[in-house]
Amino acid sequence: MKTIYKKLLFLFLLAPFSILAQGTLTGVVLDKKSNQPLPGVNVVVQGANESTSSDFDGKFKLVKLKNGDKIVFSFIGYESQTLNYSGQKEVTISLDDSANQLQEVVVQVGYGTAKKKDATGSVTVISAKDFNKGAILTADQLLVGKATGVRITNNGGEPDTAPNIRIRGISSLNAEASPLIVIDNVPIDNRLAAGQGNPLSLINPNDIETFTILKDASATAIYGSRASNGVIIITTKKGASGTPQFSYSANYSFGKVGKLIDVRDGISFANFIADKYPSLVDKLGIPDPNNPGERILYNTNWQDEIFRSTISQDHNFSAKASIFGNVPFRASVGYNNTQGLVRTNDYSRISAGFKVTPTFFDNHLKVDVNAKGFSSKKNAIDAGAAIGAALNMDPTKPVFGDSPDNRFGGYYQETFLDPTLQRYLIQGQINPVARLNQRNRPESIDKFLGNIEFDYKMHFLPELRAVVNLGIETSQSSIRENFVDGALETYQFNQSTDPTANYLFNPGLNYSERQTIDNKTIDAYLVYTKKLSGFVSRVELQGGHNFQSFVNQGIQKRFQYNPDTGIRELFVNPQNPDNRYYGKMALESYFGRANIDLADKYLLTMTLRADASSLFPSDRRWGYFPAAGLAWKMKEESFLKNSKFINDLKLRLGYGVTGNSDIRSQGYYPYIALFSPGNQNGQYLPGVNVFSANAFNPNLTWEKTATTNIGLDFDILKSGFLSGSIDVYMRKTTDLLATTSFPPGQFLTNQFVSNCATMTNKGAEVNLVAKIINSDNMNWSINGNISYNKGNVDEIKGSTRIAAAGGGLPGIGRTLSYHAVGEQPQSAWVFEQVYDNAGQPIPDVFVDRNGDGEITDKDKYYVALVPNWNFGFGTSFNYKNFDLNASFRGQLGGKVYNSAKYQYGWEQKVVPNVSQNLNNNLDGDLPFVTIAENSVVSDYFLENATFLRCESLSIGYKFDKLYKSATMRVYVGANNLFILTKYSGQDPENFNGIDTNFYPRPRVFNMGVNIDF
Amino acid sequence: MKIIIRNLAIAVLFSSLGLSCSNELDTKPLIEQSFENLLQQDPNIAKGLVSRMYATFALTGPNGPGSSDIVANDAGESAFLRGIINLQDFTADDMKNRWGDDGLDQLTTTSNWTQNNKFFRYLFDRVYYTVPQTTNLIVALNNVNVPDKALYISELRFLRSLAYYYMIDCFGKGVLLTTENYGTTTPLPEASRIQMFNYVEQELLAIEDELPMTNEYGRANKSACRMLLAKLYLNAEVYTGTARYNDALTYVNKVITEGGYTLAPNFLQNFSADNDTSPEIIFPLIADAQTSQSYGNTTYLVNGSMNSDTMPISLFGATSGWGGHRATKAWYGLFGANAGELAASSDVRASLFWTAGHNYEMGDYKVWVDGYPCTKFRNSNFFSSSSPTNFSSTDFPLFRLADAYLMYAECVLRGATGGSISQALTYVNDVRARSGATAITQSDLILDFIIDERARELNFEGHRRSDLIRFGKFTGGSYLWPWKGNALNGTSIPDTYKVFPLPLTALDANPNLTQNPGY
Repeated sequence: MKTIYKKLLFLFLLAPFSILAQGTLTGVVLDKKSNQPLPGVNVVVQGANESTSSDFDGKFKLVKLKNGDKIVFSFIGYESQTLNYSGQKEVTISLDDSANQLQEVVVQVGYGTAKKKDATGSVTVISAKDFNKGAILTADQLLVGKATGVRITNNGGEPDTAPNIRIRGISSLNAEASPLIVIDNVPIDNRLAAGQGNPLSLINPNDIETFTILKDASATAIYGSRASNGVIIITTKKGASGTPQFSYSANYSFGKVGKLIDVRDGISFANFIADKYPSLVDKLGIPDPNNPGERILYNTNWQDEIFRSTISQDHNFSAKASIFGNVPFRASVGYNNTQGLVRTNDYSRISAGFKVTPTFFDNHLKVDVNAKGFSSKKNAIDAGAAIGAALNMDPTKPVFGDSPDNRFGGYYQETFLDPTLQRYLIQGQINPVARLNQRNRPESIDKFLGNIEFDYKMHFLPELRAVVNLGIETSQSSIRENFVDGALETYQFNQSTDPTANYLFNPGLNYSERQTIDNKTIDAYLVYTKKLSGFVSRVELQGGHNFQSFVNQGIQKRFQYNPDTGIRELFVNPQNPDNRYYGKMALESYFGRANIDLADKYLLTMTLRADASSLFPSDRRWGYFPAAGLAWKMKEESFLKNSKFINDLKLRLGYGVTGNSDIRSQGYYPYIALFSPGNQNGQYLPGVNVFSANAFNPNLTWEKTATTNIGLDFDILKSGFLSGSIDVYMRKTTDLLATTSFPPGQFLTNQFVSNCATMTNKGAEVNLVAKIINSDNMNWSINGNISYNKGNVDEIKGSTRIAAAGGGLPGIGRTLSYHAVGEQPQSAWVFEQVYDNAGQPIPDVFVDRNGDGEITDKDKYYVALVPNWNFGFGTSFNYKNFDLNASFRGQLGGKVYNSAKYQYGWEQKVVPNVSQNLNNNLDGDLPFVTIAENSVVSDYFLENATFLRCESLSIGYKFDKLYKSATMRVYVGANNLFILTKYSGQDPENFNGIDTNFYPRPRVFNMGVNIDF
Repeated sequence: MKIIIRNLAIAVLFSSLGLSCSNELDTKPLIEQSFENLLQQDPNIAKGLVSRMYATFALTGPNGPGSSDIVANDAGESAFLRGIINLQDFTADDMKNRWGDDGLDQLTTTSNWTQNNKFFRYLFDRVYYTVPQTTNLIVALNNVNVPDKALYISELRFLRSLAYYYMIDCFGKGVLLTTENYGTTTPLPEASRIQMFNYVEQELLAIEDELPMTNEYGRANKSACRMLLAKLYLNAEVYTGTARYNDALTYVNKVITEGGYTLAPNFLQNFSADNDTSPEIIFPLIADAQTSQSYGNTTYLVNGSMNSDTMPISLFGATSGWGGHRATKAWYGLFGANAGELAASSDVRASLFWTAGHNYEMGDYKVWVDGYPCTKFRNSNFFSSSSPTNFSSTDFPLFRLADAYLMYAECVLRGATGGSISQALTYVNDVRARSGATAITQSDLILDFIIDERARELNFEGHRRSDLIRFGKFTGGSYLWPWKGNALNGTSIPDTYKVFPLPLTALDANPNLTQNPGY
């Protein structure tokens, strides 16, 4: 108290002199490395109401300065600098772009930005320097393993495959469970365009500057209706002023399949048949045309036949400049061509981006215009069927055949002559190589994403801003499925009985679809910001309105074969001639937010949002989503202010509610009683067109998730040596929208969506960055994150368990995984296998867990499939011009069901089912002769899914001053270089925990060059 | 200029802020339509809605063979008719399947039945698809005026009763959803077999007068209603503990005497692609290779019984053989105790097995050549030539006159009044004579003869399990057939197998439902 008194007195005495000593400072802010001017740098006089930002030439001007004022220069991605004002007139400030996470990083918080250090919610920012490197096709690949609490489990190695992003566990069951993705202020639609596999494939990864991930409700609440599963905000790179900068990058990558499934080769298979099923020996191979009665056996590795070595390339060119003298502008074009591991699975994309940010009226009106276009084309294949067929095919059969009945463009296919009709009919599995090569199905998408944002600072009241953002997301898709001549799948017959003349093929169009998506966003809000002196140091009030509409419509052409002529004909349904479909969803919201800073130490954020969704009936349409967050900047407290050990410390508390309404998987009108026309093949009484009553649920309403979060951000030891954050949270989701079995007979079908469950997720996350060496010549940093999440299904209305989506076992209609009360969501419900002394499973013998003397469902137990622990770590090292980056990630725990063991791991599998052909099975001695009903859900098939994957590795060298100021970096690298796991199958990383006909993730080696000039 | 732009900008900003779009939240579909809109468009559309309800017994869904009304792993497996064949014939002595799909082996071997078997669930879910769907339409039609409204409602009540009949027969309990309690969202109480029996009886009695004597082909008429009533009464002792053979005889007699049906001159005419011309079929489930496609209508019976390994499948109008179903000697043994005797039989019905390349004995039900595929159902025309098609055009004769004749005889033998033994003998011999079988005498006409004659005449038509239960031959060890109880020569199975387990999904969804004993 005494000290404070003294200080006050001192200030009081000094005041008149300070006032007299008011001064003006001008200067320029430069990038330390390039010496280019930096526009938009925040220049703030600490503790005073004075602030500005650098203009497009990096220049700034401050007035009314007092000696001793601390002037802070901060800019996103750069280390802040503080200048002690002592009467200087002009300064040059050089900012270093080795951004320190906790310092002046500006984060997107939804309808605005905040400094990371002032953020009250749980926010993770991943910027370009932290991204995964190498062969990157889609934005999710930049992020995987990088952000704590964010689990990205793609569906496999197919280009454009769905990324399956989950933030902090599963908190939606059948409603959309992916986070909301916002690209440059436009929330994009999680529903995909026809032919699109990945919602992030529409943005060029090279254009991305940062990902901002909002995880707790105090951060996400401003996005209310769509934020239940977190928000990922993607910000693209901005323009620059000064001399134009150009950049070109190229990457070439080479992929190969890693581990194959261990099915038998031709020799092992022939021996196995001869040994176990001698009566089937005459089905091996194909007849020898020269020696009647003899067979020729081939040794075909069908997996090798459908997989290939891939070559892919990626090129980008971007330009940053200011046009008309002072309008920052960035434009980029990109080209990517990626080959999938499975033959013919090609993907190519052309993208273009454009960003211009003019200002008018002395910076009162800021306009931000973004336009991104992309055009992609892929040859879609049925990868699961091709891979399944490759595993199943008899390895003693050839790929190609030239006998007279192999009329299928040179491909081998088993046929037989039907004696009555004199037709060579196909039997056995369809040759998977022919299937891949004889069909082409280009799926092309043209997509545009654009917005224009007006941010107007009132002339009469500069504290008040009005912002209007208009965004559109529109796409046109076209799918055309064609067969080549001689395609097995188009093999048909006419009425002739001459076997050499009664067949025909139907090359050409087999299916087509055109789809259009038109989504619109309109945001309008007012922001009032006032800096105050006194205990309340700043107030920011914000209120606004948001409207979004989503229209998805299209037409399809379908065909069918004429049974008399064998000719494929257009199939027209008179009730819906174009097979048209149409759906529209609309969301409307009102939102308000108050940010109140108390004594510059306590930061309070309160949010309220009211949301309406067209997916719910009008009386249940509106949901209200409140949230509050409090941050305590402990470093500002006197007891830490002078600490040399603690550079920064902030404690965050947050609570909030968010909603989810997106059940478009059940249609766009799930609450309305509607009738649909049946199609041409679904008619019944002659001459009458059928109509069907669609299932609906008039009681649908919002799914709500309440999140409580406590977090700590810190920066300790010598500046930046160790920084990071720790968060613990609890998320409780009520009125979960889930597809569940309805009480029999009481709804129009057996399963539909309802608000039927309650679930809790609890977890903790740690994120650390250590800058071990930080010198001019050498830098070495290590970053790591680990997260723990455990979900629990608390209640299911009127039931104890519901089948998990994607939890069915292949082929047999048996559900493996459930959401069961008292268990983690997506848990396998299995029997406990009994093993013999040699460790082999005893078929159909299980532990009688309840001891009632019989094996029934009551003996089953639950095993969680989803891992509780996810982690990622990486390191970045550079010495002079050399650099090395490595990223690793993995999961601890979790289980994966090894379907190959069940599908191919039994002896009788080889026996022909409905036709002559033999099926392959797994090599070696197999524990099962056949697999009975109960054995299918034995825990024998569940394996530990723990793994560590080397996600990316790259080594580069930068040539300075290649030509004038141009620089060039060359690098080589690898993606998915190795995986460490005890899993006996190919890859334990599996979103549904059921490993079936998996599209392998390729091991990719890449090399590339970046040129900046 | 600057000022104008600024003012314009401000105007845009504020107008956007005030923008209200609440009316936009009532988004409207363009393809799907409300009931009112549909009827406004064309009042005759009501017939399309009724047609769709008939279709729920034959087709899996409204959009062709890949669509399914109920959520199922494989749309094709989910058809009502396919469920009837799986549960009534594969579980009985007549037919076995070799696919070994998860759950199908258990039906074929009458063993290890559990609540997880998807085939029980499919039939259960089918009943409880047709019941609320028909009820929904009844409620909707009650509130509007359309031509033939009363007739449609009666037909819908017939279809609902037919669905319930399978619930009574197969599961022995369920829930009773009616026009009155439709819309209840809290789980309904469990309904006992007797309650369900009484409800279906009342419903059928109520609509008997409403339904016309004749109706369009494929639609229910008086005789279809009476036939269902007669079946209900015939099995009443099993269902309720009280025999109702007098009532059964009354209604089956009405079918025979008032219905105007005659036996088709040739047995096969009832099972061929042109069987819509048969004078014998009282109630068919329609199939058409183009317009009514399903993997669960007669396509399942025809293609499932075909395999090009041993048979010229196109001879039977099929383009693909799935190689699944074969009859057992419990069926063809009734025509001849070995392959030679069978071949020598004069009975047309004995000739409908494919024996070449097959073994008389079913040593291993999983081996295609063990047992004879049944060619009774085929997709070729009887009267004219036809080309093979992927899907079957053969209608399924759910009720036909020969069944009524044999029911008449059975009722008389069981002591029902209102009929005569001489008439019974005539009917039985009519059925036999039509197929070239020798006439029997009155002394031959005993109940044991009836159950065998029903096998010879009606196997593979979805009646066999019910018949065996009614004759006390299904459970226990008094009557054995190949693979009964998962033993080559058959073994005793428990009495609890007279009803199937309720599916786990139903028990999970309605806590008022309890599992049948023994499961």
